[in-house]
Amino acid sequence: MSDSKKLTDLSYLRSLTGNANDKMAKYIRMFTSGAPLSVQQLEMYSLNKDWDAVKQTAHALKPQAGYFGAKGTEELLKEIERMAGDKVELERIPAALNNLKTQLDIIVAELEESLKEFDN
Amino acid sequence: MVNKNLIYIVDDVQMQRELLADHLKANMPAYEIHCFSTGEECLAAAKVRPAEIIFLDYNLNSQVKDAMDGIEALQELKTIAPQTEVVMISGQDKIEVAVNTIKHGAFDYIVKGEGAFVRAEKVVFNIYRFHKLTATANRYKTLMILFGIGMVLMVILVIYLQNNGYIRNSPGWY
Repeated sequence: MSDSKKLTDLSYLRSLTGNANDKMAKYIRMFTSGAPLSVQQLEMYSLNKDWDAVKQTAHALKPQAGYFGAKGTEELLKEIERMAGDKVELERIPAALNNLKTQLDIIVAELEESLKEFDN
Repeated sequence: MVNKNLIYIVDDVQMQRELLADHLKANMPAYEIHCFSTGEECLAAAKVRPAEIIFLDYNLNSQVKDAMDGIEALQELKTIAPQTEVVMISGQDKIEVAVNTIKHGAFDYIVKGEGAFVRAEKVVFNIYRFHKLTATANRYKTLMILFGIGMVLMVILVIYLQNNGYIRNSPGWY
């Protein structure tokens, strides 16, 4: 996949870590192991109509997506947080979560690919 | 008494607290940094060894629902260690949230995101300058009080000497 079509952009994380490979690998692993669990939690909370928990979980995941340059995903999480927090347009949340899951699958695949560079 | 150059970071999201800790360690090596995932853990540490600065997440109960939230932790921290400066960190960019934390005694408020780490560094520097200015102001205050006491003692001494005739006939006194 060409860089322009990628959902992630590691330039901010590179500047933050001083381009240290060990730190880059550490944060990528943290995200790739933690984010799918957060999505599972979001789906479970949505099924249980626990909107406060949906809001909290989306809120916690939002800046992490931003650190990996996934601006679209960050915006989507912001939207989910708004809908769940204000308890408006709740019928849109399951579709938004499906979209989020698709985006995160791509992000995780991209980050795992980039791990090869940092593990060398 | 707080422990100078000791910083606590409290955030229930591991990546968030480690990114901030790594950034501060790299840019402010004079500071000793410890991380906690809950307000309860930080409070226990602050009772034994109060920090100079605490970076405290506003939403501390996103992972564990019945955990203490940021405002509760802030209130407790200001009770047990009033001299500790608490800096709230949150993904919330609503002004009323920031104002609320300042009302509860926070030194500053940082919104999570790309600029947050550089801002945290600036806040540490601001706290350092604030503490230095406060210490200087306190020294001047103490000096002024001592000077005042000295002046009062001098006047009492002169009155005593006058009343007892020791300086009645001295030139300049009548």
